[in-house]
Amino acid sequence: MPRSLPIDTNNLALWLLALALPLALIAALVSGPVSIDLAAALQQGWRGDGSDAVILWQLRLPRALLAILIGAALGMGGAAMQGMLRNPLAEPALLGVSSGAALAAILLLYYGLAWQSGWLLPVLAIVGAFVAVACVWMLAGRGASASRLVLAGVAINAFLSALMALALNYAPSMFAMQEIVFWLLGSLANRGWDQLLLALPFILAGAVLLFSARNYLRALSLGEASAASLGFRGHRYPLLVLLGIAAAVGAAVAVAGTIGFVGLVVPHLVRPLVRQDPGRLLWASALAGALLLLLADILVVNFVGAQELRIGAVTAFIGAPFFFWLIVSARRGQGS
Amino acid sequence: MEVTCENLGLERHGLKVLRDIRCVFKPGELTAVVGPNGAGKSTLLEILAGVLVPSSGRLTFDSRDAEKLPAAQRAQICAYLPQAETPAWSLSARDLVALGLLPWGRRGEDAERIARALKTVDAQPLASRPVTQLSGGELRRVQLARLMVGDAPLLIADEPTAALDIRHQLQLMHSFRQQADAGKTVLLALHDLALAARFCDRVLLLQDGHLRAQGAPEDVFTPALIGDVYGVSCEFRWRNGVADFVPLDLL
Repeated sequence: MPRSLPIDTNNLALWLLALALPLALIAALVSGPVSIDLAAALQQGWRGDGSDAVILWQLRLPRALLAILIGAALGMGGAAMQGMLRNPLAEPALLGVSSGAALAAILLLYYGLAWQSGWLLPVLAIVGAFVAVACVWMLAGRGASASRLVLAGVAINAFLSALMALALNYAPSMFAMQEIVFWLLGSLANRGWDQLLLALPFILAGAVLLFSARNYLRALSLGEASAASLGFRGHRYPLLVLLGIAAAVGAAVAVAGTIGFVGLVVPHLVRPLVRQDPGRLLWASALAGALLLLLADILVVNFVGAQELRIGAVTAFIGAPFFFWLIVSARRGQGS
Repeated sequence: MEVTCENLGLERHGLKVLRDIRCVFKPGELTAVVGPNGAGKSTLLEILAGVLVPSSGRLTFDSRDAEKLPAAQRAQICAYLPQAETPAWSLSARDLVALGLLPWGRRGEDAERIARALKTVDAQPLASRPVTQLSGGELRRVQLARLMVGDAPLLIADEPTAALDIRHQLQLMHSFRQQADAGKTVLLALHDLALAARFCDRVLLLQDGHLRAQGAPEDVFTPALIGDVYGVSCEFRWRNGVADFVPLDLL
Protein backbone atom coordinates (compact mmCIF):
# COMPACT_ATOMS: atom_id res chain seq x y z
CA MET A 1 0.00 0.00 0.00
CA PRO A 2 1.45 3.38 -0.95
CA ARG A 3 1.77 5.64 2.06
CA SER A 4 1.54 9.38 1.68
CA LEU A 5 4.84 11.18 1.95
CA PRO A 6 5.58 12.79 5.32
CA ILE A 7 5.64 16.22 3.61
CA ASP A 8 2.75 16.86 1.30
CA THR A 9 3.62 19.74 -1.06
CA ASN A 10 -0.01 20.89 -1.03
CA ASN A 11 -0.06 21.02 2.75
CA LEU A 12 3.23 22.88 2.62
CA ALA A 13 1.63 25.49 0.36
CA LEU A 14 -1.23 25.88 2.84
CA TRP A 15 1.21 26.32 5.71
CA LEU A 16 3.06 28.94 3.68
CA LEU A 17 -0.22 30.78 3.15
CA ALA A 18 -0.88 30.65 6.88
CA LEU A 19 2.62 31.95 7.55
CA ALA A 20 2.26 34.72 4.96
CA LEU A 21 -0.81 36.15 6.68
CA PRO A 22 0.93 37.49 9.83
CA LEU A 23 3.79 38.77 7.66
CA ALA A 24 1.30 40.62 5.46
CA LEU A 25 -0.34 41.98 8.61
CA ILE A 26 2.99 43.40 9.77
CA ALA A 27 3.52 44.88 6.30
CA ALA A 28 0.06 46.47 6.49
CA LEU A 29 0.87 48.00 9.89
CA VAL A 30 4.21 49.51 8.88
CA SER A 31 3.28 50.76 5.41
CA GLY A 32 1.15 53.70 4.44
CA PRO A 33 1.32 57.29 3.26
CA VAL A 34 2.72 58.35 6.63
CA SER A 35 5.70 56.49 8.07
CA ILE A 36 5.37 55.77 11.75
CA ASP A 37 7.67 54.51 14.46
CA LEU A 38 6.11 51.13 15.04
CA ALA A 39 8.09 50.28 18.20
CA ALA A 40 7.17 53.56 19.86
CA ALA A 41 3.54 53.23 18.84
CA LEU A 42 3.43 49.70 20.25
CA GLN A 43 5.05 50.91 23.44
CA GLN A 44 2.55 53.68 23.90
CA GLY A 45 -0.13 51.02 23.78
CA TRP A 46 -3.76 50.97 22.85
CA ARG A 47 -4.62 54.17 24.70
CA GLY A 48 -1.55 56.09 23.56
CA ASP A 49 -2.37 59.56 22.24
CA GLY A 50 0.75 60.21 20.20
CA SER A 51 0.00 60.49 16.48
CA ASP A 52 1.93 57.27 15.73
CA ALA A 53 -0.08 55.35 18.30
CA VAL A 54 -3.38 56.70 16.96
CA ILE A 55 -2.42 55.81 13.39
CA LEU A 56 -1.41 52.30 14.43
CA TRP A 57 -4.21 51.43 16.87
CA GLN A 58 -7.14 53.40 15.50
CA LEU A 59 -6.46 53.40 11.76
CA ARG A 60 -4.12 50.74 10.48
CA LEU A 61 -4.82 47.84 12.81
CA PRO A 62 -8.65 47.86 12.50
CA ARG A 63 -8.39 48.39 8.75
CA ALA A 64 -5.96 45.49 8.32
CA LEU A 65 -8.06 43.23 10.56
CA LEU A 66 -11.16 44.22 8.61
CA ALA A 67 -9.40 43.31 5.34
CA ILE A 68 -8.56 39.91 6.82
CA LEU A 69 -12.10 39.36 8.09
CA ILE A 70 -13.82 40.45 4.90
CA GLY A 71 -11.41 38.57 2.65
CA ALA A 72 -12.03 35.44 4.71
CA ALA A 73 -15.81 35.91 4.51
CA LEU A 74 -15.76 36.44 0.76
CA GLY A 75 -13.40 33.51 0.11
CA MET A 76 -15.39 31.17 2.32
CA GLY A 77 -18.71 32.33 0.85
CA GLY A 78 -17.40 31.69 -2.65
CA ALA A 79 -16.18 28.22 -1.71
CA ALA A 80 -19.55 27.34 -0.15
CA MET A 81 -21.44 28.70 -3.14
CA GLN A 82 -19.32 26.76 -5.64
CA GLY A 83 -19.67 23.63 -3.54
CA MET A 84 -23.42 23.89 -3.23
CA LEU A 85 -24.02 24.62 -6.90
CA ARG A 86 -21.32 22.15 -7.99
CA ASN A 87 -20.07 24.88 -10.26
CA PRO A 88 -16.61 26.50 -10.25
CA LEU A 89 -18.04 29.69 -11.75
CA ALA A 90 -20.53 30.34 -8.97
CA GLU A 91 -20.06 33.19 -6.53
CA PRO A 92 -22.15 34.59 -3.66
CA ALA A 93 -23.36 37.50 -5.78
CA LEU A 94 -25.41 34.95 -7.78
CA LEU A 95 -27.77 34.60 -4.83
CA GLY A 96 -28.48 38.29 -4.63
CA VAL A 97 -26.67 38.56 -1.27
CA SER A 98 -24.44 41.39 -2.45
CA SER A 99 -27.12 43.23 -4.40
CA GLY A 100 -29.54 42.95 -1.48
CA ALA A 101 -27.00 44.57 0.81
CA ALA A 102 -26.00 47.05 -1.88
CA LEU A 103 -29.55 48.15 -2.62
CA ALA A 104 -30.26 48.81 1.04
CA ALA A 105 -27.06 50.84 1.29
CA ILE A 106 -27.78 52.74 -1.92
CA LEU A 107 -31.27 53.70 -0.82
CA LEU A 108 -29.78 55.08 2.37
CA LEU A 109 -27.16 57.03 0.44
CA TYR A 110 -29.85 58.14 -2.00
CA TYR A 111 -31.92 59.71 0.71
CA GLY A 112 -28.80 61.08 2.35
CA LEU A 113 -29.52 59.25 5.57
CA ALA A 114 -26.24 57.35 5.79
CA TRP A 115 -24.55 59.94 7.94
CA GLN A 116 -27.21 59.96 10.62
CA SER A 117 -25.36 57.19 12.39
CA GLY A 118 -22.33 55.09 11.52
CA TRP A 119 -24.30 51.97 12.31
CA LEU A 120 -27.35 52.59 10.22
CA LEU A 121 -25.91 51.73 6.81
CA PRO A 122 -24.18 48.45 7.67
CA VAL A 123 -27.09 47.22 9.80
CA LEU A 124 -29.62 47.91 7.04
CA ALA A 125 -27.28 46.39 4.45
CA ILE A 126 -27.12 43.15 6.45
CA VAL A 127 -30.91 43.18 6.66
CA GLY A 128 -30.99 43.73 2.89
CA ALA A 129 -28.75 40.70 2.32
CA PHE A 130 -31.02 38.47 4.39
CA VAL A 131 -34.17 39.79 2.71
CA ALA A 132 -32.64 39.07 -0.72
CA VAL A 133 -31.75 35.51 0.25
CA ALA A 134 -35.19 34.97 1.78
CA CYS A 135 -36.76 36.12 -1.52
CA VAL A 136 -34.54 33.72 -3.48
CA TRP A 137 -35.45 30.89 -1.13
CA MET A 138 -39.18 31.55 -1.38
CA LEU A 139 -39.11 32.03 -5.15
CA ALA A 140 -37.21 28.77 -5.67
CA GLY A 141 -39.68 26.91 -3.44
CA ARG A 142 -39.20 24.17 -0.89
CA GLY A 143 -36.77 21.42 -1.79
CA ALA A 144 -35.54 23.35 -4.81
CA SER A 145 -32.66 21.92 -6.80
CA ALA A 146 -29.44 23.89 -7.05
CA SER A 147 -30.27 24.93 -10.60
CA ARG A 148 -33.65 26.33 -9.52
CA LEU A 149 -31.92 28.24 -6.71
CA VAL A 150 -29.54 29.79 -9.23
CA LEU A 151 -32.40 30.74 -11.51
CA ALA A 152 -34.25 32.33 -8.60
CA GLY A 153 -31.01 34.09 -7.60
CA VAL A 154 -30.51 35.43 -11.11
CA ALA A 155 -34.11 36.69 -11.21
CA ILE A 156 -33.90 38.43 -7.82
CA ASN A 157 -30.47 39.78 -8.71
CA ALA A 158 -31.76 41.22 -11.97
CA PHE A 159 -34.64 42.89 -10.17
CA LEU A 160 -32.35 44.37 -7.51
CA SER A 161 -29.95 45.61 -10.21
CA ALA A 162 -32.86 47.30 -11.95
CA LEU A 163 -33.77 49.06 -8.70
CA MET A 164 -30.14 50.09 -8.21
CA ALA A 165 -30.02 51.48 -11.76
CA LEU A 166 -33.18 53.43 -11.03
CA ALA A 167 -31.68 54.87 -7.85
CA LEU A 168 -28.56 55.94 -9.77
CA ASN A 169 -30.69 57.37 -12.56
CA TYR A 170 -32.68 59.56 -10.23
CA ALA A 171 -29.89 60.32 -7.79
CA PRO A 172 -30.85 63.64 -6.13
CA SER A 173 -27.38 65.14 -6.53
CA MET A 174 -24.01 64.51 -8.07
CA PHE A 175 -22.72 64.04 -4.56
CA ALA A 176 -25.22 61.27 -3.81
CA MET A 177 -24.44 59.60 -7.12
CA GLN A 178 -20.72 59.70 -6.42
CA GLU A 179 -21.29 58.24 -2.99
CA ILE A 180 -23.30 55.40 -4.49
CA VAL A 181 -20.77 54.62 -7.21
CA PHE A 182 -17.87 54.69 -4.76
CA TRP A 183 -19.76 52.47 -2.37
CA LEU A 184 -20.40 49.99 -5.19
CA LEU A 185 -16.66 49.87 -5.90
CA GLY A 186 -15.94 48.73 -2.37
CA SER A 187 -13.49 50.28 0.03
CA LEU A 188 -11.83 49.75 3.38
CA ALA A 189 -10.93 53.39 3.81
CA ASN A 190 -12.13 55.19 6.95
CA ARG A 191 -13.31 51.95 8.52
CA GLY A 192 -12.52 51.40 12.16
CA TRP A 193 -13.24 49.24 15.17
CA ASP A 194 -16.97 49.99 14.95
CA GLN A 195 -17.32 48.34 11.55
CA LEU A 196 -15.06 45.50 12.61
CA LEU A 197 -17.12 44.77 15.69
CA LEU A 198 -20.33 45.00 13.73
CA ALA A 199 -19.26 42.55 11.02
CA LEU A 200 -17.41 40.12 13.28
CA PRO A 201 -20.36 38.32 14.92
CA PHE A 202 -22.17 37.87 11.59
CA ILE A 203 -19.09 36.59 9.83
CA LEU A 204 -18.29 34.23 12.71
CA ALA A 205 -21.88 32.96 12.75
CA GLY A 206 -21.74 32.50 8.97
CA ALA A 207 -18.48 30.58 9.31
CA VAL A 208 -19.98 28.28 11.94
CA LEU A 209 -23.01 27.57 9.72
CA LEU A 210 -20.87 26.89 6.66
CA PHE A 211 -18.40 24.68 8.50
CA SER A 212 -21.28 22.68 9.98
CA ALA A 213 -22.42 22.01 6.39
CA ARG A 214 -19.00 20.86 5.20
CA ASN A 215 -19.93 17.19 4.90
CA TYR A 216 -23.01 18.15 2.91
CA LEU A 217 -20.78 20.04 0.48
CA ARG A 218 -18.50 16.99 0.28
CA ALA A 219 -21.43 14.66 -0.46
CA LEU A 220 -22.67 17.08 -3.11
CA SER A 221 -19.50 16.37 -5.10
CA LEU A 222 -21.43 13.28 -6.22
CA GLY A 223 -24.68 15.08 -7.09
CA GLU A 224 -27.93 15.77 -5.29
CA ALA A 225 -29.37 12.25 -5.49
CA SER A 226 -26.22 10.64 -4.13
CA ALA A 227 -25.93 13.29 -1.42
CA ALA A 228 -29.53 12.53 -0.38
CA SER A 229 -28.73 8.83 -0.16
CA LEU A 230 -25.66 9.66 1.95
CA GLY A 231 -27.94 11.22 4.56
CA PHE A 232 -28.15 14.84 3.36
CA ARG A 233 -31.77 15.04 2.29
CA GLY A 234 -34.35 17.74 2.66
CA HIS A 235 -33.98 21.50 2.72
CA ARG A 236 -32.12 21.75 6.02
CA TYR A 237 -28.62 21.66 4.54
CA PRO A 238 -29.11 24.04 1.60
CA LEU A 239 -30.78 26.44 4.04
CA LEU A 240 -27.79 26.18 6.37
CA VAL A 241 -25.44 27.10 3.52
CA LEU A 242 -27.64 29.95 2.28
CA LEU A 243 -27.94 31.47 5.75
CA GLY A 244 -24.19 31.06 6.26
CA ILE A 245 -23.46 32.87 3.00
CA ALA A 246 -26.01 35.59 3.73
CA ALA A 247 -24.53 36.25 7.17
CA ALA A 248 -20.86 36.18 6.18
CA VAL A 249 -21.01 37.85 2.77
CA GLY A 250 -23.88 40.16 3.73
CA ALA A 251 -21.87 41.51 6.66
CA ALA A 252 -18.77 41.87 4.49
CA VAL A 253 -20.64 43.86 1.84
CA ALA A 254 -22.38 45.90 4.52
CA VAL A 255 -19.16 47.32 5.95
CA ALA A 256 -16.96 47.43 2.86
CA GLY A 257 -19.26 47.71 -0.16
CA THR A 258 -19.22 45.22 -3.01
CA ILE A 259 -15.78 43.73 -3.56
CA GLY A 260 -15.90 41.44 -6.56
CA PHE A 261 -13.85 38.48 -7.73
CA VAL A 262 -12.50 37.37 -4.35
CA GLY A 263 -15.32 34.83 -3.91
CA LEU A 264 -14.85 33.63 -7.46
CA VAL A 265 -11.09 33.48 -7.85
CA VAL A 266 -9.89 32.39 -4.42
CA PRO A 267 -11.63 28.98 -4.27
CA HIS A 268 -10.25 28.28 -7.78
CA LEU A 269 -6.72 29.04 -6.68
CA VAL A 270 -6.70 26.92 -3.54
CA ARG A 271 -8.82 23.99 -4.73
CA PRO A 272 -5.78 22.00 -5.92
CA LEU A 273 -4.12 22.55 -2.52
CA VAL A 274 -6.91 20.73 -0.66
CA ARG A 275 -7.15 17.88 -3.19
CA GLN A 276 -10.43 19.35 -4.48
CA ASP A 277 -12.17 18.58 -1.18
CA PRO A 278 -15.11 21.04 -0.91
CA GLY A 279 -15.05 20.68 2.91
CA ARG A 280 -11.43 21.68 3.48
CA LEU A 281 -11.81 24.27 0.72
CA LEU A 282 -13.92 26.37 3.12
CA TRP A 283 -11.14 27.21 5.54
CA ALA A 284 -8.43 27.21 2.86
CA SER A 285 -10.45 29.79 0.89
CA ALA A 286 -11.00 31.82 4.05
CA LEU A 287 -7.25 31.88 4.61
CA ALA A 288 -6.37 32.72 1.00
CA GLY A 289 -9.18 35.29 0.73
CA ALA A 290 -7.93 37.04 3.85
CA LEU A 291 -4.40 37.15 2.47
CA LEU A 292 -5.49 38.34 -0.97
CA LEU A 293 -7.63 41.19 0.33
CA LEU A 294 -4.99 42.28 2.83
CA LEU A 295 -2.36 42.42 0.08
CA ALA A 296 -4.78 44.27 -2.20
CA ASP A 297 -5.42 46.79 0.56
CA ILE A 298 -1.70 47.29 1.16
CA LEU A 299 -1.51 48.18 -2.54
CA VAL A 300 -4.44 50.57 -2.16
CA VAL A 301 -2.97 52.29 0.90
CA ASN A 302 0.41 52.81 -0.73
CA PHE A 303 -0.98 53.91 -4.08
CA VAL A 304 -0.23 57.56 -4.65
CA GLY A 305 -2.82 59.39 -6.70
CA ALA A 306 -5.28 62.24 -6.68
CA GLN A 307 -8.19 59.88 -6.02
CA GLU A 308 -8.33 57.02 -3.58
CA LEU A 309 -7.84 53.73 -5.40
CA ARG A 310 -10.89 51.56 -4.62
CA ILE A 311 -10.17 48.03 -3.51
CA GLY A 312 -12.98 46.67 -5.71
CA ALA A 313 -11.09 47.98 -8.73
CA VAL A 314 -7.92 46.26 -7.54
CA THR A 315 -9.60 42.88 -7.03
CA ALA A 316 -11.22 43.21 -10.47
CA PHE A 317 -7.77 43.76 -11.95
CA ILE A 318 -6.60 40.62 -10.21
CA GLY A 319 -9.73 38.68 -11.19
CA ALA A 320 -9.99 39.41 -14.88
CA PRO A 321 -6.45 38.30 -15.88
CA PHE A 322 -7.04 35.22 -13.77
CA PHE A 323 -9.87 34.27 -16.11
CA PHE A 324 -7.69 34.87 -19.15
CA TRP A 325 -5.19 32.52 -17.63
CA LEU A 326 -7.90 29.95 -16.85
CA ILE A 327 -9.12 29.91 -20.46
CA VAL A 328 -5.61 29.80 -21.93
CA SER A 329 -4.59 26.92 -19.64
CA ALA A 330 -7.79 25.03 -20.54
CA ARG A 331 -6.95 25.53 -24.24
CA ARG A 332 -3.46 24.23 -23.68
CA GLY A 333 -4.88 21.21 -21.85
CA GLN A 334 -7.07 20.44 -24.83
CA GLY A 335 -4.21 20.80 -27.29
CA SER A 336 -1.94 18.30 -25.62
CA MET B 1 -31.94 -6.16 6.19
CA GLU B 2 -35.44 -7.13 5.13
CA VAL B 3 -37.03 -4.48 2.95
CA THR B 4 -40.80 -4.48 2.56
CA CYS B 5 -42.74 -2.38 0.08
CA GLU B 6 -46.44 -2.12 0.88
CA ASN B 7 -48.43 -0.62 -1.96
CA LEU B 8 -45.72 1.92 -2.75
CA GLY B 9 -46.74 4.58 -5.23
CA LEU B 10 -45.42 7.87 -6.55
CA GLU B 11 -47.29 10.63 -8.30
CA ARG B 12 -45.43 13.32 -10.21
CA HIS B 13 -47.13 16.26 -11.91
CA GLY B 14 -50.44 14.41 -11.60
CA LEU B 15 -48.98 11.35 -13.30
CA LYS B 16 -48.75 8.02 -11.51
CA VAL B 17 -45.19 6.98 -12.30
CA LEU B 18 -45.32 4.10 -9.83
CA ARG B 19 -48.30 2.38 -8.25
CA ASP B 20 -49.07 -0.44 -5.90
CA ILE B 21 -45.62 -1.95 -5.61
CA ARG B 22 -45.80 -4.87 -3.21
CA CYS B 23 -42.67 -6.90 -2.62
CA VAL B 24 -40.15 -8.06 -0.04
CA PHE B 25 -36.36 -8.12 -0.39
CA LYS B 26 -34.60 -10.51 1.96
CA PRO B 27 -31.03 -10.56 3.27
CA GLY B 28 -28.81 -12.80 1.17
CA GLU B 29 -30.88 -12.16 -1.91
CA LEU B 30 -29.66 -10.60 -5.13
CA THR B 31 -32.64 -9.09 -6.92
CA ALA B 32 -32.78 -7.66 -10.42
CA VAL B 33 -35.30 -4.93 -11.25
CA VAL B 34 -35.99 -5.16 -14.98
CA GLY B 35 -38.42 -3.61 -17.42
CA PRO B 36 -38.54 -1.43 -20.53
CA ASN B 37 -37.38 2.22 -20.51
CA GLY B 38 -39.74 4.33 -18.47
CA ALA B 39 -41.20 1.39 -16.55
CA GLY B 40 -40.30 3.00 -13.21
CA LYS B 41 -37.15 1.05 -12.27
CA SER B 42 -35.09 4.12 -11.31
CA THR B 43 -38.05 5.67 -9.50
CA LEU B 44 -38.51 2.56 -7.38
CA LEU B 45 -34.81 2.46 -6.51
CA GLU B 46 -34.81 6.18 -5.66
CA ILE B 47 -37.71 5.65 -3.25
CA LEU B 48 -35.89 2.75 -1.61
CA ALA B 49 -32.71 4.84 -1.33
CA GLY B 50 -34.55 7.76 0.27
CA VAL B 51 -33.96 10.15 -2.62
CA LEU B 52 -37.69 10.34 -3.37
CA VAL B 53 -40.52 10.21 -0.84
CA PRO B 54 -43.37 7.90 -1.89
CA SER B 55 -46.75 9.58 -2.24
CA SER B 56 -48.57 6.47 -1.08
CA GLY B 57 -47.84 3.15 0.61
CA ARG B 58 -45.28 2.21 3.18
CA LEU B 59 -41.64 1.20 3.08
CA THR B 60 -40.09 -0.64 5.99
CA PHE B 61 -36.55 -1.75 6.84
CA ASP B 62 -36.74 -4.72 9.26
CA SER B 63 -40.32 -3.60 10.08
CA ARG B 64 -39.20 -0.03 10.96
CA ASP B 65 -40.87 2.68 8.91
CA ALA B 66 -38.17 3.98 6.55
CA GLU B 67 -39.62 7.48 6.25
CA LYS B 68 -39.46 7.89 10.03
CA LEU B 69 -35.78 6.96 10.27
CA PRO B 70 -33.41 9.94 10.68
CA ALA B 71 -31.66 10.60 7.35
CA ALA B 72 -28.22 9.89 8.83
CA GLN B 73 -29.33 6.51 10.18
CA ARG B 74 -31.00 5.61 6.92
CA ALA B 75 -27.79 6.38 5.05
CA GLN B 76 -26.01 3.80 7.22
CA ILE B 77 -28.60 1.22 6.20
CA CYS B 78 -28.74 1.82 2.48
CA ALA B 79 -25.98 2.61 -0.02
CA TYR B 80 -27.12 3.78 -3.44
CA LEU B 81 -25.54 4.45 -6.81
CA PRO B 82 -27.72 6.38 -9.28
CA GLN B 83 -27.80 5.68 -12.99
CA ALA B 84 -25.76 8.76 -13.82
CA GLU B 85 -23.46 10.29 -11.25
CA THR B 86 -21.19 13.06 -12.49
CA PRO B 87 -18.50 14.12 -10.03
CA ALA B 88 -18.35 17.91 -9.75
CA TRP B 89 -14.65 18.13 -8.89
CA SER B 90 -11.64 16.19 -10.07
CA LEU B 91 -11.19 14.32 -6.80
CA SER B 92 -8.83 11.40 -6.88
CA ALA B 93 -10.54 8.01 -7.23
CA ARG B 94 -9.47 7.24 -3.66
CA ASP B 95 -11.09 10.42 -2.30
CA LEU B 96 -14.28 9.71 -4.23
CA VAL B 97 -14.52 6.24 -2.73
CA ALA B 98 -13.95 7.76 0.73
CA LEU B 99 -17.19 9.73 0.32
CA GLY B 100 -19.02 6.41 0.66
CA LEU B 101 -17.87 6.41 4.30
CA LEU B 102 -19.49 9.79 5.10
CA PRO B 103 -22.53 8.22 6.85
CA TRP B 104 -20.17 6.65 9.39
CA GLY B 105 -18.24 9.85 9.98
CA ARG B 106 -14.97 8.29 8.92
CA ARG B 107 -12.80 10.17 6.53
CA GLY B 108 -9.55 9.26 4.86
CA GLU B 109 -8.25 7.21 7.79
CA ASP B 110 -9.95 4.09 6.51
CA ALA B 111 -7.38 3.59 3.76
CA GLU B 112 -7.42 -0.19 4.07
CA ARG B 113 -11.15 -0.34 3.45
CA ILE B 114 -10.92 1.99 0.46
CA ALA B 115 -8.11 -0.05 -1.07
CA ARG B 116 -10.18 -3.21 -0.61
CA ALA B 117 -13.23 -1.64 -2.28
CA LEU B 118 -11.12 -0.47 -5.21
CA LYS B 119 -9.71 -3.98 -5.52
CA THR B 120 -13.21 -5.50 -5.65
CA VAL B 121 -13.87 -3.60 -8.86
CA ASP B 122 -10.36 -4.04 -10.26
CA ALA B 123 -9.57 -0.34 -9.90
CA GLN B 124 -6.52 -0.21 -7.57
CA PRO B 125 -4.30 1.23 -10.33
CA LEU B 126 -6.74 4.13 -10.67
CA ALA B 127 -6.57 5.12 -6.97
CA SER B 128 -4.57 8.33 -7.46
CA ARG B 129 -6.07 9.34 -10.80
CA PRO B 130 -8.41 12.36 -10.96
CA VAL B 131 -11.90 10.98 -11.59
CA THR B 132 -12.56 13.57 -14.31
CA GLN B 133 -9.82 11.95 -16.39
CA LEU B 134 -11.20 8.41 -16.22
CA SER B 135 -13.08 6.70 -19.03
CA GLY B 136 -16.80 6.04 -18.56
CA GLY B 137 -16.27 2.43 -17.52
CA GLU B 138 -13.36 3.24 -15.22
CA LEU B 139 -15.38 5.96 -13.49
CA ARG B 140 -18.30 3.56 -13.09
CA ARG B 141 -16.05 1.03 -11.38
CA VAL B 142 -14.73 3.67 -8.99
CA GLN B 143 -18.30 4.70 -8.22
CA LEU B 144 -19.18 1.07 -7.53
CA ALA B 145 -16.27 0.92 -5.10
CA ARG B 146 -17.83 3.98 -3.41
CA LEU B 147 -21.11 2.03 -3.18
CA MET B 148 -19.47 -0.99 -1.56
CA VAL B 149 -16.95 0.70 0.73
CA GLY B 150 -19.27 1.14 3.72
CA ASP B 151 -21.14 -1.23 6.00
CA ALA B 152 -24.66 -0.70 4.63
CA PRO B 153 -26.67 -3.96 4.73
CA LEU B 154 -28.73 -2.80 1.71
CA LEU B 155 -26.99 -2.09 -1.60
CA ILE B 156 -28.86 -0.48 -4.48
CA ALA B 157 -27.34 0.23 -7.89
CA ASP B 158 -29.07 1.60 -10.97
CA GLU B 159 -27.73 -0.07 -14.12
CA PRO B 160 -24.32 -0.76 -12.65
CA THR B 161 -23.14 -2.77 -15.66
CA ALA B 162 -24.24 -0.35 -18.38
CA ALA B 163 -20.83 1.24 -19.10
CA LEU B 164 -18.69 -1.82 -18.42
CA ASP B 165 -16.88 -4.20 -20.76
CA ILE B 166 -17.81 -7.90 -20.60
CA ARG B 167 -14.96 -8.81 -18.26
CA HIS B 168 -15.84 -6.13 -15.75
CA GLN B 169 -19.56 -6.92 -16.07
CA LEU B 170 -18.89 -10.48 -15.00
CA GLN B 171 -16.49 -9.44 -12.28
CA LEU B 172 -18.98 -6.94 -10.91
CA MET B 173 -21.86 -9.42 -10.91
CA HIS B 174 -19.64 -11.92 -9.10
CA SER B 175 -18.86 -9.37 -6.42
CA PHE B 176 -22.53 -8.42 -6.01
CA ARG B 177 -23.24 -12.15 -5.71
CA GLN B 178 -20.58 -12.37 -2.98
CA GLN B 179 -22.08 -9.40 -1.15
CA ALA B 180 -25.48 -11.10 -1.19
CA ASP B 181 -24.00 -14.42 -0.10
CA ALA B 182 -22.39 -12.56 2.81
CA GLY B 183 -25.88 -11.60 3.98
CA LYS B 184 -26.52 -8.25 2.33
CA THR B 185 -29.70 -7.34 0.49
CA VAL B 186 -28.73 -6.34 -3.03
CA LEU B 187 -30.96 -4.67 -5.63
CA LEU B 188 -29.85 -3.90 -9.17
CA ALA B 189 -31.73 -2.31 -12.03
CA LEU B 190 -30.53 -4.20 -15.10
CA HIS B 191 -31.17 -4.15 -18.82
CA ASP B 192 -29.10 -7.24 -19.48
CA LEU B 193 -31.61 -10.04 -18.94
CA ALA B 194 -28.99 -12.75 -19.38
CA LEU B 195 -26.90 -11.34 -16.51
CA ALA B 196 -30.04 -10.95 -14.42
CA ALA B 197 -31.07 -14.55 -15.09
CA ARG B 198 -27.65 -15.94 -14.36
CA PHE B 199 -26.70 -14.10 -11.17
CA CYS B 200 -29.90 -13.03 -9.47
CA ASP B 201 -32.12 -15.02 -7.12
CA ARG B 202 -35.15 -13.01 -7.94
CA VAL B 203 -36.45 -10.73 -10.63
CA LEU B 204 -38.94 -7.86 -10.45
CA LEU B 205 -40.46 -7.11 -13.82
CA LEU B 206 -41.91 -3.57 -14.05
CA GLN B 207 -44.20 -2.28 -16.77
CA ASP B 208 -45.69 1.22 -16.94
CA GLY B 209 -45.12 1.86 -13.26
CA HIS B 210 -46.61 -1.31 -11.90
CA LEU B 211 -45.18 -4.65 -10.90
CA ARG B 212 -45.97 -7.04 -13.73
CA ALA B 213 -44.32 -10.13 -12.30
CA GLN B 214 -41.86 -11.23 -9.64
CA GLY B 215 -40.14 -14.46 -8.82
CA ALA B 216 -37.23 -16.67 -9.81
CA PRO B 217 -35.65 -15.74 -13.17
CA GLU B 218 -36.80 -18.96 -14.82
CA ASP B 219 -40.41 -18.20 -13.85
CA VAL B 220 -40.41 -14.56 -14.95
CA PHE B 221 -38.29 -14.81 -18.08
CA THR B 222 -40.74 -16.71 -20.25
CA PRO B 223 -40.99 -15.85 -23.94
CA ALA B 224 -44.69 -15.09 -23.51
CA LEU B 225 -44.21 -12.57 -20.68
CA ILE B 226 -41.11 -10.94 -22.18
CA GLY B 227 -42.91 -10.73 -25.50
CA ASP B 228 -45.87 -9.07 -23.87
CA VAL B 229 -43.87 -6.55 -21.82
CA TYR B 230 -41.04 -5.67 -24.24
CA GLY B 231 -42.78 -6.43 -27.53
CA VAL B 232 -39.91 -8.67 -28.54
CA SER B 233 -39.86 -12.37 -29.33
CA CYS B 234 -37.01 -14.12 -27.58
CA GLU B 235 -35.42 -17.35 -26.53
CA PHE B 236 -33.91 -18.35 -23.20
CA ARG B 237 -31.49 -21.27 -23.26
CA TRP B 238 -29.86 -22.60 -20.14
CA ARG B 239 -26.45 -24.20 -20.41
CA ASN B 240 -24.76 -25.36 -17.20
CA GLY B 241 -26.62 -22.74 -15.21
CA VAL B 242 -25.60 -19.93 -17.58
CA ALA B 243 -28.55 -18.20 -19.19
CA ASP B 244 -28.35 -17.45 -22.86
CA PHE B 245 -30.87 -14.81 -23.79
CA VAL B 246 -31.46 -14.16 -27.47
CA PRO B 247 -33.85 -11.41 -28.56
CA LEU B 248 -35.20 -12.59 -31.92
CA ASP B 249 -37.43 -9.96 -33.47
CA LEU B 250 -39.91 -7.20 -32.84
CA LEU B 251 -43.45 -8.38 -32.26
